[in-house]
Amino acid sequence: MQKTKIVCEILLIFILVSTLTGCWDREELEDRAYVIGIGLDRSKAKGKIKVTMLLANPEVGSMQGGGGSIEKPREIISFDANDFVTAKVTANAIISRKISYDLLKIMVASEDLARQPLFYNLINDAAYDKEIRMNVFLAVSEEKASKYFLKNRPKMETRPHKYFQYMIDHGIENGLIPDSTLFRFFKTTERGTDLFLTMNTTATRKKDTKMKGEDEYYAGQVNATGEFDDTQFIGSAVFKNGVMIGKLTGQETSIANTLDDTTNISDFLADIPNPFPGKRKSFAIRVMKREHNKVKMDLKGPRPKIFITLPLEFEFKSNPSMVDFSKKKNQAIIKKEIARHFKEQFEGLLKKTQKQYRGAPYPLSFDARKYFGTIQEYERFNWNKSFLKADIYVKPDVEIVDYGSLTKKAGN
Amino acid sequence: MMKQQPGKLGIREYVSITVLMVGSKASEDTPSLLSIQVQNAAWMIPILSAGLFFIPLFLLIKTISLFHEKDLFSVIEKLFGKYIGFFVCLVIFAISSFGISVDSRTYTNIIRAYYFNTTPVLVLYGLFMAVCAYGAKRGIRNVGSVSYLLIFYTLLSLFIALLLCTRESNIQAIMPIWGPGKWEVLKGSLKNLSLYADFFLLTMLVPYLRSSKEFRRGTWIAYIFTIILTSAATIVFVCMFDQSLGGIGYPFHSAIRYISLGSYIPNLEIIFFVIWIMGAFIRFTAFLYISALMFGHLFKIKDFEYLIPPLAAVYLLIGAIPETPIDVSLEWKSIVRMTAGPVFTAISLIIWLAALLKGEFKHAENKNSM
Repeated sequence: MQKTKIVCEILLIFILVSTLTGCWDREELEDRAYVIGIGLDRSKAKGKIKVTMLLANPEVGSMQGGGGSIEKPREIISFDANDFVTAKVTANAIISRKISYDLLKIMVASEDLARQPLFYNLINDAAYDKEIRMNVFLAVSEEKASKYFLKNRPKMETRPHKYFQYMIDHGIENGLIPDSTLFRFFKTTERGTDLFLTMNTTATRKKDTKMKGEDEYYAGQVNATGEFDDTQFIGSAVFKNGVMIGKLTGQETSIANTLDDTTNISDFLADIPNPFPGKRKSFAIRVMKREHNKVKMDLKGPRPKIFITLPLEFEFKSNPSMVDFSKKKNQAIIKKEIARHFKEQFEGLLKKTQKQYRGAPYPLSFDARKYFGTIQEYERFNWNKSFLKADIYVKPDVEIVDYGSLTKKAGN
Repeated sequence: MMKQQPGKLGIREYVSITVLMVGSKASEDTPSLLSIQVQNAAWMIPILSAGLFFIPLFLLIKTISLFHEKDLFSVIEKLFGKYIGFFVCLVIFAISSFGISVDSRTYTNIIRAYYFNTTPVLVLYGLFMAVCAYGAKRGIRNVGSVSYLLIFYTLLSLFIALLLCTRESNIQAIMPIWGPGKWEVLKGSLKNLSLYADFFLLTMLVPYLRSSKEFRRGTWIAYIFTIILTSAATIVFVCMFDQSLGGIGYPFHSAIRYISLGSYIPNLEIIFFVIWIMGAFIRFTAFLYISALMFGHLFKIKDFEYLIPPLAAVYLLIGAIPETPIDVSLEWKSIVRMTAGPVFTAISLIIWLAALLKGEFKHAENKNSM
């Protein structure tokens, strides 16, 4: 009796163990092809889109200290499909392994497609495919997405997943590109009250661009020479209700990112005009955001008034006129200059988007919500319409944490 | 050797079971169903419903504690007599059975949607129920110990997940504070009394606790705990998903797929999933045990633990009827929600009234004073 019981229990354990293989969802790493990037273009065929897949080779770079295979780090295929979800199946006509979107990092849409009214509908398929994570980044490329992936040949970071991860993470940290995940894109579009900024990228270098301030560039305009990859991530594409309507430069994007409390921009470097006499015209400063914005709104009148106070901290990274900052007078001058400069920048951007794109470039409507008791009242107020008439006042609350090292004029 | 004296539950085991059973509602589709009804005021519903359900639950527990170490069904039969009592118990059993079927199907849907996309529903569902039936067969004492072991890790992982979610969320999403209006919110909380219906069913376990005082204390501790848990989780989801919350089927699982620990540990969800599913097993194990207890009581079956596997099979068959997850969430679940809350509330009040009219309270007082 005792023995049969033990035998039965052992048999039960064996049966249970066999279920651990995951039944129908058994996956072999060998058997999968991981798509890192998807490119979307308009297709010549009616009602179709051109899907480009960037597949990473997991073998490359996985072995430390050499001895790896001599295979290429990536594979790129483009073809026409109805949508990018069923495209997985079509791709298997070319790729030997099973296509998986599990490790998808970036979706690049060409500007041409992003300006189509059906773009949001198209990209919304991603919400239904459970393989696609909502932290996939959305980017807009100037050229065709299929060309973009082909031309993008990183010299140092040849593994595509690492390349995109580092490129985007650092871009967001520096504030040059917005944190445009699919999650934020869907959320903003469904809310329908604000503009959405998507990172702008290109792999084509522009010829003869003029030299500009530190980051007043659109993608492709940074005029660098040397031996490097042509891909640039800078600036943003403006979306309204899921359709692209315009573009912002890198600098405008970083201003929008500074205003936006929902992104993780920690600090960035910027140039401000030099108020002191001297040959060099700009100061290098590090800008940090202390805490969240303080936003006050007066929404009663026919023209709503919006007051935004930004608590900003500054650290000096250069001193072109060799000013002695131990003097209170000089501190006051620079403080005033910074406040003036940033006020101009912030108000300039907000007014530009208000006039040109008819919306705020970051979720400003959130701050209006607390003035209403119920959703019905808020809807009656109609943010989209009221915002167009609003007067916006921005006040940077300047605090200088470090003037840099005390300098003496050369020769003194 | 097999016939062990059934052990009794201590207060900590009982609280663990209860928190896992009721608190797990925050991790399935409840927040998004609440958000469909009252948008961004969804977080108020768990608090207000708890406030409303407090009265019947308080009266019920007060009445039950008059009868020493008797469970809910014995009390009902004693107060209502043999025939009406049997009928009332049958209604409770039917509603709770339907509730288990629908809920367990919801969990299977979650597992299938996010983790095992190609496995047939029936296989996953079968395995899920088999594990729960096996657990329930071991007896409530073992369920209690396991849930006491798990409770800490479950709460810790939930806490970490919610904490990581707050980085992606905006607290201003809870404004306008009253959502669709005060009256709508109150109506919504009336409709969602079933959030706490499990507490009503848990009164079946009174004889399995060491004392009825521990039962009372444990219930209130767990009650407060689950209010905070459900409401806090809903706040986080409202702030994270804003107006999209209603369209997201299972916010907890969408959220854990989105969050990451820096760029080096990006895809965390499997850690949370494993802990979550263990909590889910406990929930349905306890549920199965309670319904077997009810069935045994109804039809005077003494060795009711043998009823667990067949009952699990029946629930599996009922739960397999709806074709798609949308049917489950929006149609079947709303039936349970609309019936369980009001019916259980009404029964609690009637029990108390019957006890009052029959003079049971005075009787007990006299006994005490003597």
